[in-house]
Amino acid sequence: MKLYKLENIKRIHGSRTVLDIADLEISARKIYTLIGPNGAGKTTLLKILSFLDLPSEGRMRFMGQEVIPNEKHLYAFRKRVVLLDQDPIMFTGSVWKNIEFGLQVRGVTEAEKKRRIEDVLDLVGMERFKDYNARGLSGGETKRIALARALVLKPEVLLCDEPTANVDGENQEIILSIIERINKEENTSVIFSTHYLSQGQRLADHSLLLQRGALSDMANENIFRITVAGSEGGKALCQLTGQLFLRIPLSALPAETSFAKIHLTPELLHFAPEINGRTDGNVVTGHITEMSQESGRVRLGIDIGVKLILFLPMDTYLRVKPGIGEKYKVFIPDEAVGFSSFESAL
Amino acid sequence: MDLLFDSVASAFLLFMSFDRELIEIVLVSLNVSFFATLIASILGIPGGFVIAYSTFPGKRLVLTCLNTLLALPTVVIGLLVYSFISRKGLFGSLDLLYTQKAIIIGQVILIVPVIMTLTIAAVSRIDGRYRMTALTLGANRIQMARVIFKEARYGILAAIIAAFGRVIAEVGISMMLGGNAKGFTRTMTTAMALEYDKGEFVLAVALGITLMSLAFLINMLFHFFQGRTESETV
Repeated sequence: MKLYKLENIKRIHGSRTVLDIADLEISARKIYTLIGPNGAGKTTLLKILSFLDLPSEGRMRFMGQEVIPNEKHLYAFRKRVVLLDQDPIMFTGSVWKNIEFGLQVRGVTEAEKKRRIEDVLDLVGMERFKDYNARGLSGGETKRIALARALVLKPEVLLCDEPTANVDGENQEIILSIIERINKEENTSVIFSTHYLSQGQRLADHSLLLQRGALSDMANENIFRITVAGSEGGKALCQLTGQLFLRIPLSALPAETSFAKIHLTPELLHFAPEINGRTDGNVVTGHITEMSQESGRVRLGIDIGVKLILFLPMDTYLRVKPGIGEKYKVFIPDEAVGFSSFESAL
Repeated sequence: MDLLFDSVASAFLLFMSFDRELIEIVLVSLNVSFFATLIASILGIPGGFVIAYSTFPGKRLVLTCLNTLLALPTVVIGLLVYSFISRKGLFGSLDLLYTQKAIIIGQVILIVPVIMTLTIAAVSRIDGRYRMTALTLGANRIQMARVIFKEARYGILAAIIAAFGRVIAEVGISMMLGGNAKGFTRTMTTAMALEYDKGEFVLAVALGITLMSLAFLINMLFHFFQGRTESETV
């Protein structure tokens, strides 16, 4: 059974359509990422999926049940789904009181409450903060407590709106590993939004790309599997396809990596003539196979043996004026390479 | 300046002598102000909540009417309530005129709009994420309202203090509906007006100082209570 099924969903604010999804099915017990720029409609979709907002048009089913705009009905659904806000707010009181809230409204017994709160504080590594004033925590700590406040309810679905935004690297890792763990151990379905394609690729079973309120299939573009063939001059020689190799700094790969899944961020790729003497990357050659205008920039598809997508700023496009079928060199800087998984042959 | 010094001295002497009449006046004032504020809070706080959190046609008009009622003169309320509770009025048989109950009714009408508008302002200022968070954690509408109430408590407390200040200092309603009967409906403000009429300025000012001291004491108590609840939540 599908977790969610959305048909011709639209969310309209005033005269503006902020979400327009023709068809979307989300499977249970998987991790989905919702990728897209600011204003793409990620938060709106998450609010609809968490039953905090209703679509203006269209049909939606949750676990096979039709979602109807009735408060009693929505209240029952909300008990099975929790949304973790991008910028979570703590209620007045201690960390313990905050985590206790959802259990209290569900009428959980004192002993059960105590056991579950202690377990979840242990899961997020915040046991010693239990008596702290929840409003005195740092941004990363607040996100972890907000995650604990959601997970203590053992929801069937956890929706997270940019759970790693405005959080330092250490807290980002902790949050992502908890999300991964509860999906594997508790079979919790997870849908989280992010700006980072690489982060989505690392965790998610499926990625959904939202642009201007509509779904796009681009989320799976620029993702390649590479084979580490050797090393030279402090760089790993990685086979992308056939005779096409990329040199990637050895420091970016864990020792004894044989295979890896990489993602090349389209916004960071450039035409090689635009780059003056940079050595922190790779130059590849290919023919332009597709070209379209998008949000004030030009999206190019280039066949380099595999299909590579890059975006050109409009002024660069007007200066270079590339055409379909023309051959161009593309510079892939090291910073454009993101890793989503590593494998060892051992 | 002599008037001021004499008044302060008189007020001090009145306090120290535990003058029975003064105590009666103060108790009547506190009694009617307390019950008027209590009843108006019971009506005004939930009313303010409902208006702040619901969407209905004419909401803007209701808000404008409430804001207009803030400027309602006490004499107008006095006349209105008088027309209902006087012997020939709709509720004349209840014999409410010139009782503390009559003053309370008038004062409730006076401060319900104060409590409602200040509650609406306090609740509207609360970050929308509290509502969203409570709902997504499984709260129903009443549990969610409780969360909002807790977060808006200082604003609501300020509304109650402002309303109490308004009724303890008003004179029109107390005079018209209470009748200034010694020992029954004489409040500090009506007593002050009477002393002024009699030319007893010193006593009138002394009563004024007493009223201000009481108001100060009550505000101190509110702030003490507010400070305690704040530290308990940390």
